[in-house]
Amino acid sequence: MKITFKVNGEPVTMDVKPNELLINVLRDKLKLTGTKYVCGIGECGACTVLLDGEPILSCLTLAVDVNGREVTTIEGISKGDELSEVQEAFVEEGAIQCGYCIPGFIIMGEYLLRIKQKPTEDEIKEYLRGNLCRCTGYVNIIKAIKKASELKISKTK
Amino acid sequence: MCGLREALPEDVTSLITLTLSFSGFEVFKLKDLLIYSCLSLLWLSTMSDTSVGPEHLISKWLEAKEFLVVGKSVSRIDALSKALGTAKYTEDYLMSEALFIKQVLSPEPHAIIKSVDVSGALRIPGVARVFTASDIPGINQVGYALPDQPLLAERKVRYVGEVVALVAASDYEKALRAAEEVRVGYEPLPHILDPLEAMERSDVLIHEEAGSNIAFRTKVRKGDVVEGFSKSDVIVENEYRTHHQDHIYLETEAALAIPDMEGRVTIIGGIQYPHLARDITAKVLGIPSSFVKVVVPYVGGGFGGKDDEGPLAAAKAGLVAYLTKKPAFILYSREESIIIHPKREAAIIRYKSGASGDGKLQAIEVTIIHDTGAYANRSPFILWRATMHSSGPYEVPNARVDGYAVYTNKVYEGSFRAFGNASIQFAVERQMDQLADKLGMDPIEFRLKNILEPGKYTVTGQLLDHSVGVGDAVRKLAEVSEWRRKYEEYKKFNKASDRFKRGIGIGVAWHGISTSRGVPDWSNSYVKIEKDGSVTVFTGITEIGQGSPTSSHIQIVCELLGVSPNHVKVVFGGTDAPDAGATHASRGTSIGGIGVLVAAAKLRERLVSLAASMLNVSPEDVVLRDEKAQVKNDPTRYVSWKDLVKEAMSRGVELSATGYFFLPKGKFDDTVGQGFAYPAYSYIAIVSEVEVDTWTGQVRVLKVWPALAAGRIINPQQVEGQVEGAVVQGMGYVLMEQLIFDEKGRILNPDLTDYVIPTIRDIPEIAKPVYVEDVFKYGPFGAKGVGEMALIPMPATLSNAVANALGVNVTRLPLTPENILKLLGKVRG
Repeated sequence: MKITFKVNGEPVTMDVKPNELLINVLRDKLKLTGTKYVCGIGECGACTVLLDGEPILSCLTLAVDVNGREVTTIEGISKGDELSEVQEAFVEEGAIQCGYCIPGFIIMGEYLLRIKQKPTEDEIKEYLRGNLCRCTGYVNIIKAIKKASELKISKTK
Repeated sequence: MCGLREALPEDVTSLITLTLSFSGFEVFKLKDLLIYSCLSLLWLSTMSDTSVGPEHLISKWLEAKEFLVVGKSVSRIDALSKALGTAKYTEDYLMSEALFIKQVLSPEPHAIIKSVDVSGALRIPGVARVFTASDIPGINQVGYALPDQPLLAERKVRYVGEVVALVAASDYEKALRAAEEVRVGYEPLPHILDPLEAMERSDVLIHEEAGSNIAFRTKVRKGDVVEGFSKSDVIVENEYRTHHQDHIYLETEAALAIPDMEGRVTIIGGIQYPHLARDITAKVLGIPSSFVKVVVPYVGGGFGGKDDEGPLAAAKAGLVAYLTKKPAFILYSREESIIIHPKREAAIIRYKSGASGDGKLQAIEVTIIHDTGAYANRSPFILWRATMHSSGPYEVPNARVDGYAVYTNKVYEGSFRAFGNASIQFAVERQMDQLADKLGMDPIEFRLKNILEPGKYTVTGQLLDHSVGVGDAVRKLAEVSEWRRKYEEYKKFNKASDRFKRGIGIGVAWHGISTSRGVPDWSNSYVKIEKDGSVTVFTGITEIGQGSPTSSHIQIVCELLGVSPNHVKVVFGGTDAPDAGATHASRGTSIGGIGVLVAAAKLRERLVSLAASMLNVSPEDVVLRDEKAQVKNDPTRYVSWKDLVKEAMSRGVELSATGYFFLPKGKFDDTVGQGFAYPAYSYIAIVSEVEVDTWTGQVRVLKVWPALAAGRIINPQQVEGQVEGAVVQGMGYVLMEQLIFDEKGRILNPDLTDYVIPTIRDIPEIAKPVYVEDVFKYGPFGAKGVGEMALIPMPATLSNAVANALGVNVTRLPLTPENILKLLGKVRG
């Protein structure tokens, strides 16, 4: 089946099988390998991408379902070499260890800070509870989201 | 092989031999090894007399008082590409022409392989070939400590999930279909899942050639325990049980092998010790090690699991690539990862300890039984570590300890952060609380009466001459956690509260740094300064999330050469770099960093003396900082780093150096388990507060206070990350993680739905660690190990807190709601 959609602002058209998963299209066909495959059953959040601005799990989403829509992956978060506030805060707060879960966390962080400018700690936990990390114990991830929120607010002032 | 087994465990050289064999060397004759060990000790003693050896350079920097970057929270350089999503892991190197490998797993726990029919699989279009043990051109033997384990099952299988064959096909789906079409004929044998039963039975042998199901034994004999117990006014005796834990690194095991790159079989893989993966692959292929190259890109978590399984994944991909002459790729599914790879030890520990009325420990008598599973893997080393740490960080005059690693028909035991030590410290610390209670003493006060200090002797009779900050760590921790106040407050709280009970607990632990006894351990690195002044560092240490090559290694170079971190490139994790040993055992910075320090220090000495001659001052008056060599007290007089390097090149000053350091060890007598066990120990203490819902059995960890005596803290931000991660991984182990086995030893929950790890919702508040910088004389700037530390006392501290909250004895893990209700007598167990 032929589908057309936008990835990180660029239009793409390709043939996909009806059962083909979005993650495989992103990783294998478009070589956007920043999105990670971890559990394959929607338990870990590592493969999270934005679809028309809403977070979805690319390991559970059929490629045909993104036809005519817009996908944003981790590669589409920075502006060239310029890090987004969320990315900058993850680097500075020591929130990154092995890094395998990080693209999923950053995508969720971007989404959260777009809908809530200054989330409470409880809200941060609520929005990130579907993302697993085995290295950091999550402490610095929470710090990073708070810091990113401050950075964003200070930039808009 | 039989000769080797007979020599175990009495011979002091046996484990040296085993380790050399596990490091990939062929097994030496014991006699040769004795001579080798003596010679190396002799050589070291002559080395230490000179002032030009690496020890001189290490001790010079140990004494430094002021630092440019050491001790500061510097962001790790890999964070940037990991945040951008551009950091590459094994799977990201997948090439479309690679063959996909799928593993055929045994459904039987113990059976003779009667036949393997691959005809159906080969009929599927796109299937290249199916590989079994008979296809292996080299040696089908990958056991680390004992030669008991094939890469692909041979003659029989010993657990559900054992790899019998590999199928290689043009894509994943074809490989998957073909794997299902491989028909293996099994003749089932009686199987044993319980280690206690396995120890007793000789009619069912999991490894016939061993003559028993006991794979390995350890012991400690110190003083006279009968006399020790006779002097004891209080005695506590319990049987403890701990369970398996899976690593759940987010990236499962993966390897991509390219058959002929640079004339070598090149493997890119998620591995913790590239040189070991190379040597194992070479052995399986029957080719020299130098004809295999291993590259370790970023690794999505290791925790020990990829120290065991990483080389096996590499060897599987290497085998397929070598025999088909095509690139080959293996990626374990999550289910395969959990079913196949080794786990944290499940232990049975019988522990009796006694103390006199004045609060002094008098004797311990301990039996440690590890459910080793189908293969020994590293369990002899894991059991050895558990045995030699069986006193906890306390002085005990009399000890009798026996350890048994026992084969069963289950997934086998392996390396996991804490390496045998979390289970034994759990037992030790439960005992300490109960002894304190019987003595009517505060648990911390009782511990401090027995705590190890410089000048005291360990349970193996080793004199601790330096770097023992555990007492100070515990005292400071008692203060910052307000231990005493809360201890009393919770008693009142619990009297008033019916449903929720609160408790506070402590766990104190120690962990030997470097390999044990005389087992060789070294650090090795190569550092060069390029023409433009930038610096390239080569190390075999890998980046598995811990950050040593991407933060502390860079800090070491910047500290010594005064260059900017942006000008330092660390090439890590490959076999073309010097063998720096494995990235395990909390040694990435503490041992791996020594070679970097020594090499950089050599370069510094050369350049400082050159700068001194250029500036007309003595070398002692030259400071390297801000990319300059400047005169101390007069920063206006300087040579820029670039000009200094240019001058060095024109004058023939060598701008590259290797930093090699062989750690001095001591004598150990394995017949009594006495002697020099480790060059130093890292220490940790953790206080935790919990709230238990007695209606649901749910345990909530409210707050955790860690205190670390791990030598110099080179990068506080990275150390905190290690502590926090280990606390949460340890909490998951204690409260929620559990593998469920059926009657065949099959794991019933091999996925992230049913094997539950902590989420961001489960974490406690974690206080900033207390640091006691009890510097280690051989560590870079005195650093000891950190990576594993905070996990070790988690079972101890949480179970003590739960016992404190509920007023019950806790002897079994995990403390799931169901098990808490059993402890409360609310459900039958």
